[in-house]
Amino acid sequence: MTNLSRRSVLRGSLALAAARPFVGPHIAKAAATTASVWFAQGFVQDEDVSLRKAVADYEKASGNKIELSITPFAPERQKIVAALTSGVVPDVMANNPGEILQIYGWQDRWVDVSDVVETQKSQFSETAVVSGQAYNNVTKKVGQYGVPVRAAVVPCHIWRPLVEKAGFKIEDIPKTWDAYFDFFKKVQDSLRKQGERKVYGLGFQVTANGVDPYNLFMAFVLAYGGQNIMTKDGKLHLDDPKVKEAAIKATAYLGGAYRDGYVPPSAINWNDADDNNAFHARLMVMDVDGTLSTEVAVKEKHPDWYFKEMVTHGIGYPTDNAGKPIPAIVGVTQMMIPKGAKNVPVAKEFLKYFVQPKVVGEFIELGLGRWLPVMPSLAKSPFWQDPKDPHLRGYVQMGLLGPTVPDYYVFNLAMAEVRNQHVFSMAMIDVAKDGVKPEVAVDKAFKRVEEIFTKYKKA
Amino acid sequence: MSSSVVDISRPAIQRRTLARSLRGTLKGGEYTWAVAFVVPYIAVFLAFVVYPVIYGLWMGSEASLYRELFADPVYQSTVVNTVLYLALGVNVKMFLALLLSGFFMRPGRWSKVLLLIFVLPWAVPQISTFISIHWMLNGEWGFLNNVLYKLFHIEGPSWLNDRWSALGAVIVSHIWKWTPFWTLILLAGRMAIPLEIRDTAKVDGATGLAGFVHITFPLLANLYLICTLLSTIFLLGDFNAVTFVSGAGPANQGHVLATIGIRNAFELAQPRLGVAAVMSALPMVIPLVIVLMRKLRTAEVQL
Repeated sequence: MTNLSRRSVLRGSLALAAARPFVGPHIAKAAATTASVWFAQGFVQDEDVSLRKAVADYEKASGNKIELSITPFAPERQKIVAALTSGVVPDVMANNPGEILQIYGWQDRWVDVSDVVETQKSQFSETAVVSGQAYNNVTKKVGQYGVPVRAAVVPCHIWRPLVEKAGFKIEDIPKTWDAYFDFFKKVQDSLRKQGERKVYGLGFQVTANGVDPYNLFMAFVLAYGGQNIMTKDGKLHLDDPKVKEAAIKATAYLGGAYRDGYVPPSAINWNDADDNNAFHARLMVMDVDGTLSTEVAVKEKHPDWYFKEMVTHGIGYPTDNAGKPIPAIVGVTQMMIPKGAKNVPVAKEFLKYFVQPKVVGEFIELGLGRWLPVMPSLAKSPFWQDPKDPHLRGYVQMGLLGPTVPDYYVFNLAMAEVRNQHVFSMAMIDVAKDGVKPEVAVDKAFKRVEEIFTKYKKA
Repeated sequence: MSSSVVDISRPAIQRRTLARSLRGTLKGGEYTWAVAFVVPYIAVFLAFVVYPVIYGLWMGSEASLYRELFADPVYQSTVVNTVLYLALGVNVKMFLALLLSGFFMRPGRWSKVLLLIFVLPWAVPQISTFISIHWMLNGEWGFLNNVLYKLFHIEGPSWLNDRWSALGAVIVSHIWKWTPFWTLILLAGRMAIPLEIRDTAKVDGATGLAGFVHITFPLLANLYLICTLLSTIFLLGDFNAVTFVSGAGPANQGHVLATIGIRNAFELAQPRLGVAAVMSALPMVIPLVIVLMRKLRTAEVQL
């Protein structure tokens, strides 16, 4: 055996170091045409397949290489936060959750992508473009940090057989807000009389997990006339009597429906897909849930459910109590380039390719239409206007062609923290579980909201 | 001039002395080999122990983080939950393990078979079992309520909707999962007590409870204490039982320090606040580690 001396170790190390320049150029050359892209896994496999296809098409067209990483929804969020904290970032990532764009935009952590957005500016909806903007607390300006690729709203999902078993028809469902939801209480009462022990009328996410309860609460606040809870300048208006009244009514309705037994008791602990699973198990007659995940998840395995038994109310979504349409709050998936990305030119080139109407339209359609396009022209395609499909036309009408608004956190990051701390969920649960008066629950929630907003005062 | 010569030569002597003491009796290539073996360990230790600890301390070093943390209503209930989880989870489990280790000392094949069955909860993967418990406790279609309805026509409650029953479910799940492990440790401790001592005690009339109180427990006391301290430290970092049994619910009222750290870091996207939540356990952890180290030293002498 050869003796390993201190000198021999040093000699070996020096030799390796000397060889490095001859090995290095190959890696450097590869990096120049390679970009890494992170995206969240789809609810159905078709979503991932469609993304892989778009990436493969780009690679073929450009000769560049995309290192695509698809991660399940919840771990993706952790992966993004960890990457941005450590500084070891990919070249492109999607905003999962949505407010990640605004949170790190505030900290000046994104590359400006207005040049990418500019290539399709005439195609994008205004809501989609605005949702990709964030206030930068370093430059003290609003910047365009996201490239919109897809969107979602919160439609109502209904089991036709349960409505009919209760002795009603889908056409009987009223069009105005309170009457609409009260209808499903009647359906439950009727089903219970027929001996259905475990069926509930309403699938309200009266929980403190995920983004669903905030979306639900805000839909009710808008329906009750509280859309000015925050204005586009990012200012909070909790002292506006209309806003307070809307928040109290929303808390009272949502918490009250639970307290009165019209919402599954386990809803208080629901997380992310739990309401989808409960709906599929026909635990409730209707669910208010974002995207068409509920429907597309069963399309292949249970086509009868998809085509005959499930009803989606996008068209049919209730108006406010006075009969006026309510704008839909749109959550938009944006692609961002973090500062520190190794290959910004390829990242931008990839994004410019990806948001071409033909490419991004196909990406969404191959994903079965769980997500909405962000370009109104794409809504006219045969896919979205297919008369045989009972869900897509209404969904695209509600979330793209009808009146829409961006989520409030786009205008003030503080609302993202309100959402993530589940401040309004606590108010609903206080009423639902502990019988607290809605006025008291809302006062407590508003106090907490104000505390959070003081952290994000713009200079 | 002469004083400067002395000043320069002194560190050289010290360096040679240090090098000699590090080298010990190793000579030439042996010393190089020793260094080569130690360097990877030191590198790993620096990269994966020292660096993360210092980085964590740095991340959680701002006083404003703690002001924000203490103002969070969820954090306040978290502290209460953590104390209860530790006090009940550790002590009930260790006491049961102490009793059961005595039971499994009984001679006979049947006690060995029972021991094999008894350790199964510890052997199966914890996440899937905790998720199963979560489903069993579901208010609408859970196994427990279905059994209650089938047998007694009773509509069971939603077990996980109440803060205290949800926390109780987490504590019971933890005890069920980890009692077998600590029973085995204490069983090994009992088996290490020399037979002569027990036989001598029997001759002196120390049988049954008297034998346990005067012979077995005093000899096991150090091991029991060390196990309790270790279990407390493990439990402080336990994320799985809370996350998968109760989901830290209802309404975020079921968090413990380990889970609120993750919630702050990733759900709120505020990693520093997450680290601060975990760091707030340090006043409890550091004394535990100091006592543990001291007891380990004592145990060395006694055994």
